[in-house]
Amino acid sequence: MAGEYDVIGRAKPKVDGRPKATGAAKYCGDLKFPNMLVGKILTSPYAHARILSIDTSEAEKLPGVKAVITHRDVPDLKYGISPARWDENIFCIDKVRFVGDKVAAVAAVDEETVYKALKLIRVEYEELPAVLDPLRAMDEDMPQIHEQFPRNINTEIHQHFGDVDKALAQAYHVRTDRFVGQRTYQSPIEPHSAIVVWADGKLTVYSSTQSPHYFQYYLAREFGLPMGDVRVIKPYVGGGFGGKLEPTGLEFAGAVLSRLTGRPVKMFYDRHEMFAHNRGRHRQYMEITSGVDKDGRILGVHAKFIMDGGAYTSLGVASAYYAGAMLPLTYGFENFKFDMYRVYTNLPACGAQRGHGAPQPRYALECHLDMVAKDLGIDPIELRLRNARRPNTVTPNDFKVNSCELTACLEKARELSGWEEKKGKLPPGRGIGVAVGSFVSGAGYPIYRTDLPHAAAVIRVNEDGTSATLYTGAVDIGQGSDTVLCQMAAEAMGYTYENMKIVSADTETAPHDFGAYASRQTLMSGWAVKRAGEEVKAQLLEMAGEMLGVPVDSLDCRLGVVYDRATGEGKLDFAAVARTFFVKRGPLVGKGSYTPPKLGGTFKGAAVGTSPAYSFATQVSEVEIDEETGEIKVVEVWDVHDCGTVINPALLSAQVHGALYMGMGESVWEQVVFDDKGRILNANLGEYRLPTALDMPKITSALVHSEVPEPEGPWGVKEVGEGATIPTMGCYANAIYDAMGIRLDSLPLSYEKVWRALKEKWTAQK
Amino acid sequence: MYLPDFEYYAPGTVQEAVELLAGMPGARVLAGGTDLLVKMKQGLLEPPAVVSLKRLDALKRVAEEPGGLFIGARVTLNELINSDLIRRRYPSIAGAAHQMANNQVRHTGTLGGNLANAVPSADMPPILMALGAAVRVFGPGGERSFPLEELFVGPGRTSLGAGEVITGVVVPDQKTTGSTYMKFGLRRSGALAVVGVAAAVTMDGSVVADVRIVLGAVAPVPVRARSAEETIRGREYSREAAEAAGVAAAAESRPISDIRGSAEYRRDLVRVFTRRALERAVREGHV
Amino acid sequence: MEDRQGRKRHLVTLVVNGDEYTVAVKANTLLVNVLRDLLDLTGTKKGCELGDCGSCTVLLDGRPVNSCLVLAVEADGHEVTTIEGVSQNDKLDRIQESFIENAAIQCGYCTPGMILSAKALLTRNPHPTEREVREAIAGNLCRCTGYVNIVKAILAAAENG
Repeated sequence: MAGEYDVIGRAKPKVDGRPKATGAAKYCGDLKFPNMLVGKILTSPYAHARILSIDTSEAEKLPGVKAVITHRDVPDLKYGISPARWDENIFCIDKVRFVGDKVAAVAAVDEETVYKALKLIRVEYEELPAVLDPLRAMDEDMPQIHEQFPRNINTEIHQHFGDVDKALAQAYHVRTDRFVGQRTYQSPIEPHSAIVVWADGKLTVYSSTQSPHYFQYYLAREFGLPMGDVRVIKPYVGGGFGGKLEPTGLEFAGAVLSRLTGRPVKMFYDRHEMFAHNRGRHRQYMEITSGVDKDGRILGVHAKFIMDGGAYTSLGVASAYYAGAMLPLTYGFENFKFDMYRVYTNLPACGAQRGHGAPQPRYALECHLDMVAKDLGIDPIELRLRNARRPNTVTPNDFKVNSCELTACLEKARELSGWEEKKGKLPPGRGIGVAVGSFVSGAGYPIYRTDLPHAAAVIRVNEDGTSATLYTGAVDIGQGSDTVLCQMAAEAMGYTYENMKIVSADTETAPHDFGAYASRQTLMSGWAVKRAGEEVKAQLLEMAGEMLGVPVDSLDCRLGVVYDRATGEGKLDFAAVARTFFVKRGPLVGKGSYTPPKLGGTFKGAAVGTSPAYSFATQVSEVEIDEETGEIKVVEVWDVHDCGTVINPALLSAQVHGALYMGMGESVWEQVVFDDKGRILNANLGEYRLPTALDMPKITSALVHSEVPEPEGPWGVKEVGEGATIPTMGCYANAIYDAMGIRLDSLPLSYEKVWRALKEKWTAQK
Repeated sequence: MYLPDFEYYAPGTVQEAVELLAGMPGARVLAGGTDLLVKMKQGLLEPPAVVSLKRLDALKRVAEEPGGLFIGARVTLNELINSDLIRRRYPSIAGAAHQMANNQVRHTGTLGGNLANAVPSADMPPILMALGAAVRVFGPGGERSFPLEELFVGPGRTSLGAGEVITGVVVPDQKTTGSTYMKFGLRRSGALAVVGVAAAVTMDGSVVADVRIVLGAVAPVPVRARSAEETIRGREYSREAAEAAGVAAAAESRPISDIRGSAEYRRDLVRVFTRRALERAVREGHV
Repeated sequence: MEDRQGRKRHLVTLVVNGDEYTVAVKANTLLVNVLRDLLDLTGTKKGCELGDCGSCTVLLDGRPVNSCLVLAVEADGHEVTTIEGVSQNDKLDRIQESFIENAAIQCGYCTPGMILSAKALLTRNPHPTEREVREAIAGNLCRCTGYVNIVKAILAAAENG
């Protein structure tokens, strides 16, 4: 595939590699402005409490403090990233809803003064009983967290496609299994921060954000400003993984503090405050029932889930829908029932974390299927091959799947991992397991209802054609979108990557794009960029035709050279043509935008899970268990991905490594733990254990390509950024089951759980 | 995060340091700072003054003395790991240090700091206690030396008096033929011990002439597993004997349940790692 | 000397990347903040401030340490190398080049700390094993790469050194 193209398909070095390697790259917290103040937010120490009074007078008197604000000083318009559920205030007005909820903010001349001032703000609370158990949140006798949501039900979903009851009745074998997923947190290494400048009635915000657009939109709305008066700029961002997709208190409070003081205000979270702000993965209680025929073909699935949403909605409505929506993607069953309750609790709010609601249900389904396989005496990979989705099919929940190479992924994973030689033949304590996954390449519908295109791009070739600048609202948070989009621009124009420049993720200078989430940018932003590049090329070739006196369609352009199509002879340099174009016609500019086709069904929630294209993956892992301690050593992992055409192979495999690494962390090591007052016990990187370099297995990443490239992706691209997180938890659980004959039904698959399960097994055997 | 304000002193002699500490109740010693500064940032400590040992070169020594090996309190964990003398005499001490924290912390954190911080899961006390180390302390009353186990009084609490500073430990010359420290953590770096077991043995042929077993992270202080020692001292070594010692050690441990593990899990880990530590010490020497 | 609030200010001299700086700081001023705020060397990052993530790693007399846990007064008179001091006159260090060539940089936030840990390792041990590389960077947390290409880059830099 790489051979066909000049720029894409190649492991070009990143556009921002050098600044990052030298320390020149400025992240939001590194930026400094003249006359800048520093600000922080005061948060609640209680999980659920009425605010009786707030006395800021002592704080205001502290030398160096320039402003102290509470709910009295800010708009009280409720906001939230999910338009269906605007349930947050900038500062709590009558009550706080979790330990870490926002109460006040201070701006002062330096950090130390801010910390001291925060301590001087006196808040009187009346503690209220708190809802800390999501399984009890809906009980009649539980406290109400939000008045408008009775029984603390934030989102309730009942979907039924086909006839599941009939399918189960007709099935050869029916089984039900229950699983529990844990709360985890994205924990990007760079903390949230924002610098806000309110000047002359206009707002400029620098923020560690995954979406300048959504930030701009919600800030404008909150302060009643036209979008054009709000500028959001993304500096370098140190990772987001879903947790930086919505404005936090930092942007809102910073705006008011800046307006009051007339100075730029830099707001930031410390690590433990990041944990409290959260917007990470929901804890899910999952019940899966399936009926299969005697060959293991799935006839119907019923998924019944409860999700712990925490105190606010965040992106949780979508998470709740995604949890069920993604399940039928990988398998061909036609009957599917999905019941979900996303409940409020007095815990930090949960949102979208890499894989967005889908990884834990995938773990549940994949473990469940392994048990079905065992019940029927069928090999787990074989069972999946029998059920794997085929290309050009439609799921029962109306997702149109074009390219799908899941079967090839399964077969290749089986081959690479040595599955047949290993399964059932490994020494005691060693096991091998498989899981599959699938994910969207961009969401079919934006987060709020709008007819705006999803992506837009402009390319301007400079006056003498020795460089071209791509203007895109797409957001590089480390995944490399700036790089791949420059590659795509160069490919589309027939230009050279090395001469590309990029202006991205600044709402004033770059055209609209929804931002980095749902793995959308390679496909969606890519379309806009491709179209913009083709428009440049078309104008360029027309000019070249004029200059040469030949028909336009006799020419083409590649790698900066205009050539004769018939003979292959180079005729003119791109730069020379571009310069002439500028002299004769003015700026050489191309523009493009992308809106997905109308996707999905018409039932409630049909939009969530729609996508122009879907990635598919299979993961196999080999684990070794220390039978005495339960310590899990992941020896090796194989990930085989169907992610369409590869723009940059190095960045692609890097994304697979990273996604797998996060899935791995969540499988074994990570969990946010609370005490009985709703306080996080491990809000730090010592006790919230991210795997270290010494904890990593050997990873083999492989790809399969479809014969026919994905028609809905530019050059046939699909996503990869989240797809490799999804199978991992199920894959590990299945490998551990293979190693020890014990089924762990809750995440994380901790050493102690393995130890305990082994003990129980041996005791039972006696 | 920020550090509260404090007065800072960097005295030039141990005597001066002692006088400063004795004269300012609540003042804290600063060696590497990797425990002290963390606690101050977390709001757990707000000392009015900090007395830095940075000028006290005498506390940086690793040197043979008559009767033992002196390891100064300011020796960093990586210095312990890289010390030729320690690697030659007691590689198990280097081995214990090597299992701590991460490289950056090991370049800064000190032996004295790990002892004085006195967390139940501290990694240096068990191996040093197993090797019969004494701690050397200097205070208003002059210098004194006592068995290391007497330093630890409770979680985060030592028997040091007002103004007293740990100046180092002395590992006595001994007949032990093998020793090791084994730590079980929840990831391979940057993990506190869920359980830590140190064993030191003196083998006489295949007989365990003498043995010390010290348990970390399973009691308020590091604990000599004396009953476990009894089960094996003077006996022929075998895996069964080591297992029996492990069972006894488990019974002697008093772990709590916390976010890193339940008491039940820890007790069983004590059993396993006591046996493994004995195996290693018997078969591999000082490792 | 004392400031107007009566707080003692200590005169601290640091040699940072070969240049000498003298600053007047309070006792509670951390080295990471001197570097970032007073000297505008923002390549050194803050990620956790408790010594768990390594993004604040600098070389103190050649040894990698977490600058968030070093008081400026403790570093007085010592040499500090930050990421800004790794490349010389616009020429990248071979470790930096290797990180770029081997796609070892994604969001880049852990990168300065990683490169410094790697530099300290290769200075002391020019031909490390993979295990030694992993151990040298085990105190540098990365959320993006799974460490795969980082380890590859450091081993490649060692080979080409």
